[in-house]
Amino acid sequence: MTEQTSQNLLEELPGDLMMWVLIISELLIFGAGLVVFLSLRISDPAGFAEAQSQLHRTGAALNTIILITSGYLAAIGLRLNLAAQRGAARLALIAAAALGVVFLIIKLAEYADKAAQGITYDTHPFFMFYYLLTGFHAAHVIAGVLVLLLVAWRDTPENIEMGAAFWHMVDLVWVLLFPVIYLLA
Amino acid sequence: MIKSDALTRAWVVLIALSGLSAVVSTMMDRGFDTRIMGSVVLALALMKARIILSRYLGLADAPSWRRGFNLTLTLFCLLLLGLYLFPQL
Repeated sequence: MTEQTSQNLLEELPGDLMMWVLIISELLIFGAGLVVFLSLRISDPAGFAEAQSQLHRTGAALNTIILITSGYLAAIGLRLNLAAQRGAARLALIAAAALGVVFLIIKLAEYADKAAQGITYDTHPFFMFYYLLTGFHAAHVIAGVLVLLLVAWRDTPENIEMGAAFWHMVDLVWVLLFPVIYLLA
Repeated sequence: MIKSDALTRAWVVLIALSGLSAVVSTMMDRGFDTRIMGSVVLALALMKARIILSRYLGLADAPSWRRGFNLTLTLFCLLLLGLYLFPQL
């Protein structure tokens, strides 16, 4: 590959290169977690299926809709900002962050329900990975909500593009995490 | 005018694919072949991931990167499918 080709490839990439490095790193971490999770399932598929039946799929499915819609609002926020509609862009970003908070409330209710049933991380290896992967993802949601509010305040197009890209990464991870943890019986 | 039509279409398709995933998982509960339904669930997840990359993250305007991401994601989902199906072989 020539230097010119490499340069063109980097120029083709939308947004900031470092944000893409972060996105790829996060995808690799969560991807490795999912591979280990399904590898462990091989030794005890019945136990994993039994443990999975304790989860609330409806709440998690609702959270998928919430994150997808939140990602849409964040992307709209960037478009509006680029069209010099700063007020509307800020509203879209704040709405995206608010949906992130709704996601967390549903997730907390799910954890509280598990705690009430006496289910902890050491109940079964399934739950260890369930808490590890969904908890790590929830931590990213908290960070994403803060980032969205920050870029709604400091609303340069570059800031919003980076903030929205982080949020889309959180969204992307969830659409891969959700079916593996909640649906693949 | 804000160019959001492709974005809105992507959002609608993502919602529809999520609904389809819910229907398929219900079918799994009702005794349909989990190998087939599980494969469909992963295929739907792959489609959603590709749409998020293309439309939300903007790789639709970077075809070389989109091809690379799509290929990697497809291989990753095939690995997940293999691990999922392995105990049932």
